[in-house]
Amino acid sequence: MYRVMLIDDEESARKLMRASINWEELNMEVVGEAASGIEAINVIDDMKPDIAFVDISMPFMNGIEFTELATKRYPNLIIIILTAIDQFEYARKCVSLPVFEYMLKPIVRSEVTATLTLAKAKLDEEHAKNEVLQEAEPTDKIEASTIDQIKMYIEANYTDSKLNLTSVAQYFGFSASYLSRKFKQETGKNFVEYLTECRMNAAMKLAAANIKMFKASDEVGIPDPNYFGRCFKKYAGISYSEYVSMKNLKD
Amino acid sequence: MKITKIKDKVQNSKIRNSLSFKLSMVFIGIAGILIITSMIFVFIIIRKERKEYAEREAENVLVSLSTSIKSDIDNYRNISRLMIAETRVKEYLKTPLHDLTEKISKNASLGMLDYLNVSEGIDSAFIFRNDFWYTTTLYNRLDYRFDEEVMQSKEWVEPLDELQGRASLSLNGNGAIFKSDGKTVITINRAIFDNVSQKQLGYLFLNISTSFIDDEISQINNENICVVTTDGTYLAGNSDLISYCDHLHVPEEITHREVSDSKNRMMLSAIKLKRLPIVVMYAIREERKLLPQELLYIIILLPLIYFICVFVAGLFIRRNITSPVFALTSEISKNSTADSLEKLTLDLPKNELGMIKDTYNDMVDHTSELWEKLIENEQVIQRAEMRVLQEQIKPHFLYNSIETIGYLAVDAGAEKVHSALETLGSFYRNFLSKGDREIPLKREITIIKDYLSLQKLRYGDIISDEYDIAPDTEECIIPKLILQPLVENSIYHGIRQKGEKGTIRISSHMEDGELHLIVRDTGVGMSDEQIEKVLSTDSTDNDDSTATQPGLGSNFGLWGTIERIRCYCNKDDVVKIKSEPGEYTEIEIIINTEMKNWRTVNVQSNAD
Repeated sequence: MYRVMLIDDEESARKLMRASINWEELNMEVVGEAASGIEAINVIDDMKPDIAFVDISMPFMNGIEFTELATKRYPNLIIIILTAIDQFEYARKCVSLPVFEYMLKPIVRSEVTATLTLAKAKLDEEHAKNEVLQEAEPTDKIEASTIDQIKMYIEANYTDSKLNLTSVAQYFGFSASYLSRKFKQETGKNFVEYLTECRMNAAMKLAAANIKMFKASDEVGIPDPNYFGRCFKKYAGISYSEYVSMKNLKD
Repeated sequence: MKITKIKDKVQNSKIRNSLSFKLSMVFIGIAGILIITSMIFVFIIIRKERKEYAEREAENVLVSLSTSIKSDIDNYRNISRLMIAETRVKEYLKTPLHDLTEKISKNASLGMLDYLNVSEGIDSAFIFRNDFWYTTTLYNRLDYRFDEEVMQSKEWVEPLDELQGRASLSLNGNGAIFKSDGKTVITINRAIFDNVSQKQLGYLFLNISTSFIDDEISQINNENICVVTTDGTYLAGNSDLISYCDHLHVPEEITHREVSDSKNRMMLSAIKLKRLPIVVMYAIREERKLLPQELLYIIILLPLIYFICVFVAGLFIRRNITSPVFALTSEISKNSTADSLEKLTLDLPKNELGMIKDTYNDMVDHTSELWEKLIENEQVIQRAEMRVLQEQIKPHFLYNSIETIGYLAVDAGAEKVHSALETLGSFYRNFLSKGDREIPLKREITIIKDYLSLQKLRYGDIISDEYDIAPDTEECIIPKLILQPLVENSIYHGIRQKGEKGTIRISSHMEDGELHLIVRDTGVGMSDEQIEKVLSTDSTDNDDSTATQPGLGSNFGLWGTIERIRCYCNKDDVVKIKSEPGEYTEIEIIINTEMKNWRTVNVQSNAD
């Protein structure tokens, strides 16, 4: 089963995609969605998709920016642009990026299926190569001190909205999956959990200082306030605005 | 030289209105007026000057002459007084007639002769006694003759009596004593009285030859002098002038008047001697030539100088004003036909004309600036309007809405609705095609397929469609939406009119490098008249106002599409219509597919 991720700010578009395509027949499954480029960067390491459908016009980080980032970090990822904006300028930009296909909304099932079939063929081919070329275990082992360094790096750089597991792994020269495993091993925490913790602690301080959410979200490295709000609620148990009023009532 | 130049110019009416021509005319006019007036003034001044000169000269002559004549006559008068005082003369007069002797008479005569000898000019003297005996100084009495009749009359001596012995002047012995040779003599005559008794004794007639006047005249050495008596009798000088003194009434001061005859024109000055019946005339002939020669030269030279001045001024005006103005206007007029305003590159001096050039260039700059601003504004407005239009269309919004509704349909299990929405979305996507005007044939076919599948939803299965697209025609570039209106026409004016099931068949093939597109329907067909109207190239047949006429009417859409293809192909015979009423209609479009715009195709194939 190949893993498919849908990145689109329109919920109905994601849902329609999920519902209208016969994924099983293609030997694929939709493993996750993201409503913005920011969210996608934060969750993509957990999802580990093989194929990503990317909308161009999204707030906070548009599809083009995301694609530029993703092609660097995930060279094997198949990116399919799916957009309602039929503009020559976008088309030209996507041509310069290693985008697998540029498709126009509204989707036509037959067209999507045809494209996915081509993608599947490509993945099949690469899979066959990878099976022959067994992934070698990394030679340099991560030590406890290295994990400390990484933690320090995260604390220093969490305000960078583009920071994620893969970027850190690339920075220190490890594979993402190995780093993820080791990180959990050493700290008992997921990498993403740790990064989010850092950001949320900072956000709580900002909330205490009565900073507006859209400002706080930008300052802690999650410039998408919708996604930030969800993260905050998940972490703190209450919404940011509730937290702000609670804190300021106390004082 | 100037005149011929002007003549040449007159030929050209454009130049006739020109400044330089008008200026020339003004200059010539001024020159003419100046010359004529100056001549008149000069003439008047000269005449006046001459007249005054002549008058002065005449005065000099007349005064000196009259003075000397008068003094001569006074002299003679004195002599006459002395004569009558002579004792021998008195004796002769006092002696009674019976006592009168030859001797007494002779003595008296001798007594007078004494005086005659001391003065020149006295021709003779006569002493008349009251009894008309007389004695004379003459040796030869035949030198004179007497007019007895006059002598008998009272008038001869009566005036002398009244003068109480004072001398009076008369001619020829008061008209009774004439010289035999006919020469006039001036006579000084007096009545003679006795000193003691105051008794009138006799008369003295002292005849003076006019030669004394001739002598005076000859001293002046002037031929134009004539001396006459007040009654016009010639005395001395130039006798030719006598004819001019008819009825001369001359006062005792100098008068001047102009006289003329066929030969001469002259100024005649005259003066009457004081208390004497003698008039001195002096004539000055006027010069035949009007003006002195020097003046003539000046008058000829003056216009010459003036013409040279005008010529130089003309040249100056031509070089500095007219020629640059002509150059300037021709340069400016170039701009009036040119596509864009150009600055003048003409080389002009830094004078008023240079200022005109500079001002014009500034104006050109300013106009160009305004022009650019206008164009820029227009472009900004156009872009803004385009954006507004695009905003109004909002395909983005439409597509997202279709997807949202599509999901609702899927969620509710309405698979058919989803399919329909999917087709509608696809149709619009291709229909709009990013605003491209030309698309590949295969996309037009996709549009038709989507369109027909949506129409089938509406009209059920009365329409069926067939496609026979040759693979080598799929990528041919055609103007967007040329087949769709034909298919629409087939549905509404073909199949639906018939009320039976119909088929629309779309086929394409290449033939001799030309793309043939055929839309055939099994509808009601078209009449020849309808076909003719649809194929008409005359837009007045088919414009909006006549679109309602029976026949063409609702086929307007079809006619418009055919016009579009004609425009695209740039020729008229691009459409063929075959039809059999009640059976079928077949519309064939032939397009020369010199693929015009590969760039569009490439981008689209990448983008799809």
